[in-house]
Amino acid sequence: MASLATLAVASLALAAPWLLGTFWISLVTQMLILGLLALSVDLLTGHTGILPMGHAGFFAVAAYTTAILEVRHAQGFWVSAGGGVLVAVLLAVVFGLSVRTSGVYFILLTLALGHIVWGVAMRWTTFTGGENGVSNVPPPAVAAVRFADLSVYYYLVLVVVAVCGLGYQRLVRSPFGLALRGIRESESRMRGLGYNVFAHKYAAFVISGGLAGVAGVLYAYWNRFVSPAAATFHASAEAVLMGILGGTGTILGPFIGAAIILGIRNWVSGYVVWWTSVMGLVFIATVLWAPHGLLGLVRELRGRSAVRRASPPHAAAPDQTPAAGTAAMRGARGPEAPGSPPP
Amino acid sequence: MTPWTPWILQALNGISMGALLFLLAAGFTLTFGLGRVVNLAHGAFYLLGGYLGLTVLRATGSFWLALVAAGAAIVGVSWACDRFLIRRTRENVLGQVLLTVGIAYVLADICLAFWGGSPLRVPPPEFARGPIDLPGGIVYPRYRFLLILFGVLVAGVLWLLYSRTQLGALVRAGVDDREMVDALGINVDRLFALVFGLAAFLAGLSGVAGGAFLTLYPGADWDILAYALVVVIVGGLGSLGGAMIGSLIVGLVDAYGRWLLPEFSYFMVFGPMALLLLVRPTGLFGREA
Repeated sequence: MASLATLAVASLALAAPWLLGTFWISLVTQMLILGLLALSVDLLTGHTGILPMGHAGFFAVAAYTTAILEVRHAQGFWVSAGGGVLVAVLLAVVFGLSVRTSGVYFILLTLALGHIVWGVAMRWTTFTGGENGVSNVPPPAVAAVRFADLSVYYYLVLVVVAVCGLGYQRLVRSPFGLALRGIRESESRMRGLGYNVFAHKYAAFVISGGLAGVAGVLYAYWNRFVSPAAATFHASAEAVLMGILGGTGTILGPFIGAAIILGIRNWVSGYVVWWTSVMGLVFIATVLWAPHGLLGLVRELRGRSAVRRASPPHAAAPDQTPAAGTAAMRGARGPEAPGSPPP
Repeated sequence: MTPWTPWILQALNGISMGALLFLLAAGFTLTFGLGRVVNLAHGAFYLLGGYLGLTVLRATGSFWLALVAAGAAIVGVSWACDRFLIRRTRENVLGQVLLTVGIAYVLADICLAFWGGSPLRVPPPEFARGPIDLPGGIVYPRYRFLLILFGVLVAGVLWLLYSRTQLGALVRAGVDDREMVDALGINVDRLFALVFGLAAFLAGLSGVAGGAFLTLYPGADWDILAYALVVVIVGGLGSLGGAMIGSLIVGLVDAYGRWLLPEFSYFMVFGPMALLLLVRPTGLFGREA
């Protein structure tokens, strides 16, 4: 059953360029790219239980590096793309030290760090082009194939995202991923068990930053233009929202969230000028009515129908954890609340 | 004109920026300290307050009235946000952060719809225009000089309220241990509403004060919020004294950074903050969040 669904999704994804027009294929590509960014954020939000508000920084740094290497230094795909990811990882190695702080300090610190990237992109005009950004990024050429056409580039994005998704799945199912979720649930208990909490969080942060960098590289080639807009706080916040909206702690969730948000933005901005407000209302509505995201909502409904089907009350739905999202929300409150009883 | 004059001028620039930042950061830090509320809409309160004040100023011609009206209007806005939205996300920092971001989006969009996209400057009052001659042959914009005095005045009043009155004692106790104060029969929710209102009043008022020299434009809300966050992080969340010291440090570092290394001025402010946090993860005067 599950493999059938996977097969259906895969064949739909492969056939998309034949089914959809250029506008739609461009939108789907963008959705995959921003979904990957949201997925990288969710490694921290959904699995580790810390909330980074500056991930657009890694995304933008990778995009800028790739664009500058391609445009000004005429480097090929591998050097430019590899360079982009490398710089994002290096930045994450530095910014990752922020996991020393916890709770609200971490949120505010990552927000401020993300703001540095935006500020440098904006002010260091001789290198980044300031508000004009870096334009005319050529289409990537991998081996003999030049991905000039958008529907061909779509396949490149699809492959990269699929590889990243599979790697991500292995990662979160590994003992390392389990340890991250342990930290999410109780940092002090994991420390008591002998886990190096800092090292786990730090590694997760660096991996997450690198993944955001991959998304940034894909973005540079998709948009053919990189500007400080890629590094804004809004981009960071929306990446977090995508993960929550789709369902944290899942792989599909961030992509669903990205699809919804991009869908709303494209649809609403066609009709009204108030689309920023609509985005704001989506933020508010998500927090108030769908804190576990859409996948969480689906799971909750399924859980409820399972309860109805099972007649003996004690047999009802053994695992009623609504969704990982709840735990993420709990985890992001910070380390143990001062008043809470010791574990 | 001595060789030190430009250094002194930049110091004055930094201190006046610090005075503005203090007005914002003090409210933010106390709101967090007492209610554990991380209000990322604080910058939007600033911007909306500035625009509203500008409109009042244009209608009445009174700068003082504009200050008070902006503050009062933002108190109303913040009360509605707290009562109907923020209060529903207590104990859930992630939700609260996203919720206040959402509020900030909506408020910024309202500002854009009513006041447009081009920068607007709040005209300073008559008595604050032109330069002022300071000892040592230093000529400085009168408005920014008066802003320093105003910031010091507000800081003094807040400090007296905080450290010398019963209300301040309650706030301090609430920051330390909210449940205990609650158990003593104090209505912490009402106390928090008061502090949140005060923070909003200061935010709205500082929008007018800041709009007179930084101008008001779409995006100013996040620009100023980022600085205020650095102040709060450096000083330590929940500490009024930390906000005072922090705003002075950030203002000065920013002024000298802009002057000496214009392209990396952001780095000059945020870099030292990051370093400080590595040594002291809760800021200079902060405690565990």
